Amino acid sequence: MAEKTRYVRSIIMLIFIFFTIGYLIYSRIMAYSLAPTMKPADFHGLPLWQIPIAYLIDYFSHGWICLLFAFVAAGLVYEFVPKEAITKYMSGSKVTGYGLAIGMAPFLTVCSCTMVPLFAGVLYTGAGIGPAITFLLMAPAANILSILLTGEMISWELAGVRIIVSVVVALAAGIVISKTPWGKAIEKEHQVNSSSSISKIEIVKPPLDERLWSALKFGGYIAKQILPFFLLGLVAVSYVEAFLPEDIVGSYLTGISGILLASVIGGPLYTPTLVEIVLGKGMFDLGMSKGALLSWLMGQPYDVANALAVSRIVRWKVVLTYMIIAWAGSVIFGLIYGILSGSL
Amino acid sequence: MKEVIVEVIGVDPPCKRCQATYKSVEEAVSTLKEKDIDVKIFKLNVQSKGTIAKYGVLVSPALAINNVVRIMGRVPDRKEIERLILATVK
Repeated sequence: MAEKTRYVRSIIMLIFIFFTIGYLIYSRIMAYSLAPTMKPADFHGLPLWQIPIAYLIDYFSHGWICLLFAFVAAGLVYEFVPKEAITKYMSGSKVTGYGLAIGMAPFLTVCSCTMVPLFAGVLYTGAGIGPAITFLLMAPAANILSILLTGEMISWELAGVRIIVSVVVALAAGIVISKTPWGKAIEKEHQVNSSSSISKIEIVKPPLDERLWSALKFGGYIAKQILPFFLLGLVAVSYVEAFLPEDIVGSYLTGISGILLASVIGGPLYTPTLVEIVLGKGMFDLGMSKGALLSWLMGQPYDVANALAVSRIVRWKVVLTYMIIAWAGSVIFGLIYGILSGSL
Repeated sequence: MKEVIVEVIGVDPPCKRCQATYKSVEEAVSTLKEKDIDVKIFKLNVQSKGTIAKYGVLVSPALAINNVVRIMGRVPDRKEIERLILATVK
């Protein structure tokens, strides 16, 4: 009897998951936009209170599947990614440390509450400060939710570039900091001997229906955390699109100065809530260059809440170093991408 | 009376999911008491050096029963915790 209920429950959830994936694929085949389609000109003539409503209706009438898919996928990946690999291999060599930091961070950190503890864990266990910093920078920059949304709302080209650049910047920051005297000092101070720990982990694998349910529940949990900010962000973007004159964006957010400006204002505004993607899309519609858009999206390292939490562990010198490296990375790669894509 | 040590490993201050895990454990404890199993619950900070020295890097929330990590990165429900504890005691 219990077996049968489990079976039915699994089937129901799988149908829901396949519907979500299938509908997203269908929408791709039909090639309609999953991003807001309203253009700045559409807002003229609308009364003030109607602007966000029109924008939200426009967005959700076709964008809901993208959000639903993103949250379902994030939940599933988080549940099924082998988390114990982190425990098992993180204390190994530096190279495995960096590899794991890059490979695992995007899947584990859709929820910001796991990031700083993992950072501390990686720092303490032997992989050291380099992989820890790589992990910290890689996590918000290229987590599965932000990549999916960047791809669907802006373009998959940009999403791909965002992943590559995140890897390069995160690696560079990790390697550079592990070579600095203050980075080494922190690493020495925090080293913990944990060689005996591996035998103490025996993760249980619950039945499929419980895992699926746990995955969907986690997806819902992230949605609950993020959606309110995301909605507020959409409201803000609707006003930006309606009132920010295109010539201002066109003259300030293009060229080399545009990249510098985008990297500077994108930073402090960054909230790990996907708002930066919507806002970036709004500005892009208004004429921001592709190079500046990439710099804008790479502003995550300034995430103030995380920087504060991290500075309590590693002190400000390390935080400052990785912020500078990440900022420089966002400018340099903004320039390169701007030149290569012919949109500086 | 059998004794079991359960450690709920989370962040400090506790995040919502760690609180939910702790609550599930507390719920399980009351039922287990009727089966003559005494559960001692401890809270561990996933970020503390002591925890990391003991278990390594964990994804919070995690749950250890009698010094073995059985769950990490998800919130177990009351029934699952009961099952795990019963299996450990047997």
